[in-house]
Amino acid sequence: MVVTLFTEKEHQLARALVESHGLRFEQNFDVLLGIFDGNDLIATGARDRNVFKMLCIRSDFQSGSVLGELLTELLNSGAYSGYQSFFIFTRPEHSRSFQQFNFTPLVNHHKVCLLESGNGLKKYLQRHQELVKPGNNGAVVVNCNPFTLGHRYLIEAAAAQVDQLYVFVVREDRSIFPFEVRYRLVREGTADLPNVTILDTSDYAVSNVTFPSYFLKADDDLQSMQMEIDLVLFGKHIAPFFHINKRFIGTEPYCRTTRIYSDTMHRVLASFNIETVQLERKTSKEQAISAFRVREALKKEAFETLTNLVPETTLNFLRSEEGRALRAKLLDYQRRH
Amino acid sequence: MQIKRKAQAGTMQSSDLMVFLEPADDLSIEIESTVKKQFEHLIRQQIETVLARHQIGSGHIRISDRGALDYAIVARLETGIKRACD
Repeated sequence: MVVTLFTEKEHQLARALVESHGLRFEQNFDVLLGIFDGNDLIATGARDRNVFKMLCIRSDFQSGSVLGELLTELLNSGAYSGYQSFFIFTRPEHSRSFQQFNFTPLVNHHKVCLLESGNGLKKYLQRHQELVKPGNNGAVVVNCNPFTLGHRYLIEAAAAQVDQLYVFVVREDRSIFPFEVRYRLVREGTADLPNVTILDTSDYAVSNVTFPSYFLKADDDLQSMQMEIDLVLFGKHIAPFFHINKRFIGTEPYCRTTRIYSDTMHRVLASFNIETVQLERKTSKEQAISAFRVREALKKEAFETLTNLVPETTLNFLRSEEGRALRAKLLDYQRRH
Repeated sequence: MQIKRKAQAGTMQSSDLMVFLEPADDLSIEIESTVKKQFEHLIRQQIETVLARHQIGSGHIRISDRGALDYAIVARLETGIKRACD
């Protein structure tokens, strides 16, 4: 019988089982399940929002019905929490067993596979069907925390090189500026550019699913692997759907994570015949404009400085009541980007 | 009957299926199956028959099937319907 593991002692049993499979036990999950045989924990699995992880079954129980029992309860708990599609990362040799449970492979990497249950990617693409335009199209993926003149410059320069430019705004809400605000400011700040289309990335680019370590600054190996998964997902599924053959990126002087990402991008996207185009960053007072600088200036309420860093649309927002509330939040805690 | 709340039924064991029901304005049936290529049309037919018998004309119904036989499909869907309706 599948039970929820609540106590510290049960968590320790799960940790031991997970580590005996050569995996890392992570503390962040919404639910941790297990199956006991007498006093021994013989299987465990966790759900972190819409990601299943740490699924481990003791080898002498692997041939039976244990995986089915675990997946049933993980799907049940996920559905009750309102999710329709679920992701799982697994080693390539286990990809087939999950396909038996209606998981579809999204990315096959030589070290790790990403599979999905519930057709989320297909539905995501179908939802954007009417935005698809023929031609030589390009893409940028941006967080815009918040939208700056640097973003504006990047988008304008990129749009001039392609028929249609798709601006994917990162959906994941781990930034000071919530997605709704970031998305709106990108929209407003590019409204005059006729060949620019704004859309959200859902779970399919730089999200907790495709790219968890981006937000954690974890060890580099894991990081480069996750970057590759993110880029393969883009190159294999998203780019062809929107006829994208160029991906634009700003030069990155400050942040190491983002710089490694752009190097990996060149290499991975080339294998899908997508060109990575690096554009020089726009500067103000000989320093590259970055959202980080904007947030620093905002903290000090340096609106003079801000006029050189952000377009009027963003400035208006920062001056609004909503913007002032975010400033208070910003003073509360320090973050990257 | 009308689907009024989210409900689920079934398991992911071999020869079984999971049914997920949600209220919606129109009717949509989504089928995932390990035997989708051969049997999707028959699974759909079976589901439509059960829905018609209960006079359900709207809702989002999602099936994840692992090769269940007809009677299992009927049983799981009926259980799901009873949980989703009053």
